Amino acid sequence: MVKKVSKYKQMTASWRFYLVIGVIVLVYLGLTARTAYIQVIEPDMLKQQGDMRSLRTAANKVHRGSIVDRNGVELAVSVPVDTVWADPKIIMEQNALAKVEHWQALADVLDKDVNSLKSRVTKNPAKRFVYIERQVSPAMADYIKQLKIPGIHLRKESKRFYPAGEISAHVVGFTNVDDKGIEGVERVYDDLLTGEQGSKRYRKDAKGNRIEVLETVDAKPPQDLVLSLDQRIQALAYRELKGAVKAFNASSGSVVVADVDSGEVLALANSPSYNPNNRRNVALHRLRNRAITDFYEPGSTMKPMAVLSALEFGEVTEDTVIDTSKRIMRLGGRRVGDPRNYGKQTPADILVNSSNLGTSMLALSLPKEFFLDKFFQAGFGESTGINLIGESQGIMHTRSRWSQIELATLSYGMGVSATPIQMARFYASIANGGVKKPLSILKREKVNSYDEQRIFSEKNTESLLGMLEQVVEQKAHRAKVEGYRVGGKTGTAFKAVAGGYGNDYVGLFTGIAPISDPKIVVIVVINEPGGDLYHGGEIAAPVFSRVMQGALRLLNIEPDADTRVVSANDDNGGKRV
Amino acid sequence: MRSHKHDQQAQRSFWQMLHIDMPLLIGLMCLIILGGFIVYSASGGDSATVIRHIKRLSIAFVAMFIIAQIPPLVWRKWAVPMYIVGIGLLVAVLAFGHVGKGAQRWLNLGFVSFQPSEIMKLIVPITIAWFISQYDLPTKFKHIIIAFLMVIVPTLLIAKQPDLGTSLLIASSGVFVIFLAGASWKLIGGCAVLGSAFAPVLWMFLMKDYQKQRVLTFLNPEQDPLGSGYHIIQSKIAIGSGGLNGKGWMQGTQSQLEFLPERHTDFIFAVFSEEFGLVGVTLLLVVYLAIVMRGLWIAVNAQHAFTKLLAGSITLTFFVYVFVNIGMVSGLLPVVGVPLPLVSYGGTSMVTLMAGFGILMAIGTHRRFIM
Repeated sequence: MVKKVSKYKQMTASWRFYLVIGVIVLVYLGLTARTAYIQVIEPDMLKQQGDMRSLRTAANKVHRGSIVDRNGVELAVSVPVDTVWADPKIIMEQNALAKVEHWQALADVLDKDVNSLKSRVTKNPAKRFVYIERQVSPAMADYIKQLKIPGIHLRKESKRFYPAGEISAHVVGFTNVDDKGIEGVERVYDDLLTGEQGSKRYRKDAKGNRIEVLETVDAKPPQDLVLSLDQRIQALAYRELKGAVKAFNASSGSVVVADVDSGEVLALANSPSYNPNNRRNVALHRLRNRAITDFYEPGSTMKPMAVLSALEFGEVTEDTVIDTSKRIMRLGGRRVGDPRNYGKQTPADILVNSSNLGTSMLALSLPKEFFLDKFFQAGFGESTGINLIGESQGIMHTRSRWSQIELATLSYGMGVSATPIQMARFYASIANGGVKKPLSILKREKVNSYDEQRIFSEKNTESLLGMLEQVVEQKAHRAKVEGYRVGGKTGTAFKAVAGGYGNDYVGLFTGIAPISDPKIVVIVVINEPGGDLYHGGEIAAPVFSRVMQGALRLLNIEPDADTRVVSANDDNGGKRV
Repeated sequence: MRSHKHDQQAQRSFWQMLHIDMPLLIGLMCLIILGGFIVYSASGGDSATVIRHIKRLSIAFVAMFIIAQIPPLVWRKWAVPMYIVGIGLLVAVLAFGHVGKGAQRWLNLGFVSFQPSEIMKLIVPITIAWFISQYDLPTKFKHIIIAFLMVIVPTLLIAKQPDLGTSLLIASSGVFVIFLAGASWKLIGGCAVLGSAFAPVLWMFLMKDYQKQRVLTFLNPEQDPLGSGYHIIQSKIAIGSGGLNGKGWMQGTQSQLEFLPERHTDFIFAVFSEEFGLVGVTLLLVVYLAIVMRGLWIAVNAQHAFTKLLAGSITLTFFVYVFVNIGMVSGLLPVVGVPLPLVSYGGTSMVTLMAGFGILMAIGTHRRFIM
């Protein structure tokens, strides 16, 4: 037996066992290497993949804040609505499409074609979420809920509603269907209105259960936004503007009403406007907030700048007499002139007569840099600080070479372009005694003194106010406001087009009231009037008058007509008491 | 070298009298303890699962202990009847067995349900070892062919159930015996050629769709990440997210959060890797290696060709278990249902495995009786 065993020993060759051991050790090394590769070389990718599968962030939705005017009138509010969505997978699984009458009812209530509705589901049979209709009314939502179609669900959303409609549409703007502001202050102050959504980062398991919360970001509650607008003035401005644009067959128009002390914009209206509650088929140009985006050559409404600059330089006083009797001045082959001979004029007369020659002579009497600096100081070519989307900075050339004719035309508002809002700031600086303040579309108590900049002396702006009052008293009768002393300037400019000037006009009126203690500036721009009337004094001044009158009364500003001293001598102008 | 072995056997220790091979037992205990902890973690801290696991372990231990008492040559005597009964049972499974999870593996004998394929894991190597050990060296080509046929019949019957994992294990257990018996390299090469020629036949006629899908998925798991590739991708993610040191016991997110399928059975290695990292994996593989080495040591020192071949086959089959499972979980091999031996939660296979170790221990401790 022992012999037999030894034979078997030979048979089962030992070296095979050693070979087997070698192979086994190698295989183990291979397995270890494989695991090491997955765990040490690849792990970043795999860890990330693991986190992708298990980490989720959930946002706690908050209601968007309201937008109100300075008196608390609601301009934009969020109302709860329901969104109808479908879960095609469930619908297909439960064969819900077979409920023909239910689907017909659903299509009817949504005013849709039942087949197109069904095809949304059948086209994406494996999807878990398809919108059926967004933002339906509570009544419709209730009806749909009653239908109880499997796989058709409702989701609470909020919809923006704009009670003021087209009146303040350009300022307020609107949100898209996802409640994100895309125009106006809705967009600019989107973060504020939305607040910060609280969110939770958590780990979930394969079934979607939340396992642990890793991080919580507390929600910042959304804030209501208080605008500087006074909806009453805004409504008045819009109504008057819309009427004028229609009456004079103009292509568009803008009105800006601003508080001269605080720089707050009380009204900012454009025509044409649009209904923000139903933006279907609205022509894009209607969405434009022209008061801040469109710039015009201000024409004669810029003339006070020439007079004020001359007064500031000091060689001209309000009593200085300028001889414009030659009517025409030649500057490098081009002519500057008045339609008729105004003779000898004081600065006040120059404004009353709107004498191009007069302002040109004043401008040319000044050092070039001094005159140009005044434009830059007054904020032409820069934004007004109103902080709205799409604000244009107008055109004020920064070139160093200015010819005489360029300076002369600049003095009567050609070769410079400004937005209505820039004009409002310029006139507000005149009205408040020479201090440039940033404008604001939000209500504010006081301007940060850091942002204020004195650009004209108080004495000279007071003189200018007197002159502007004379313009209204003597020429721009349509701008008058009963019971109040009003100053202002008409303007009529050719529309600048490529390579020169076209045949279209812009009629403007810029004014301040009450002159005894200025509170309000109103800028009216009527663009491309299509009728026979096109002068600023004829088409813009009446709008100015009515808006100014309404604003003064609405703001309870005391009439100051009795403080006026009517001078017998028109040439000397009505000096303020 | 062998001569002084007799002296050692003269002084038999207490454990040897109990027919327990201590190094092997220590290795197995290590695995079982590790397995208990990881099953607890993988089942999400469900103590009921762990208790069931421990119950089955106890049964398996008892089986091992009992079998260790049986002199190994007894198996040699009973090899032929066992083989015949085993084949009969396999046929019976195909004829009357009930279907679970798309496969027909279970046979209900009225009082107990069991998988005949499991006992075949032991019967096949016993039978082949018996067959080959009857003849002198070198094993004649004729006998090797017969041995092959004896392996192929149960393999095909099990593959037909279908149970690819088990048929693979059984085939390899038989082939190991033939290999260890000294099949010539020519023959081995020929078999390799035959095997690769057989692969298309397997693919066309024997494999079910889900098995084909597994192979395709293995080749490119990212092709269908939510469907058939899901297992392997999730498993790789779980292993990889363990990193060097692991996330700690009960801390693995992929497994604890149920992203990982079959996590307390076939894919338990992924759970282990995620929670204990490369360090833990290396340790685990060392334990497995130690057990395999001890098994081979027993085989090398076995004094009879039958026991030598049987011990080698059992050990190598155990090694194949480990290799196939870890290879599958880490994406080296296609997904076949092979548990991680003695760590995975699972009943029948654990009993068979421990019974195998019982035979190993018997071979290691019954030498005297062979003489």
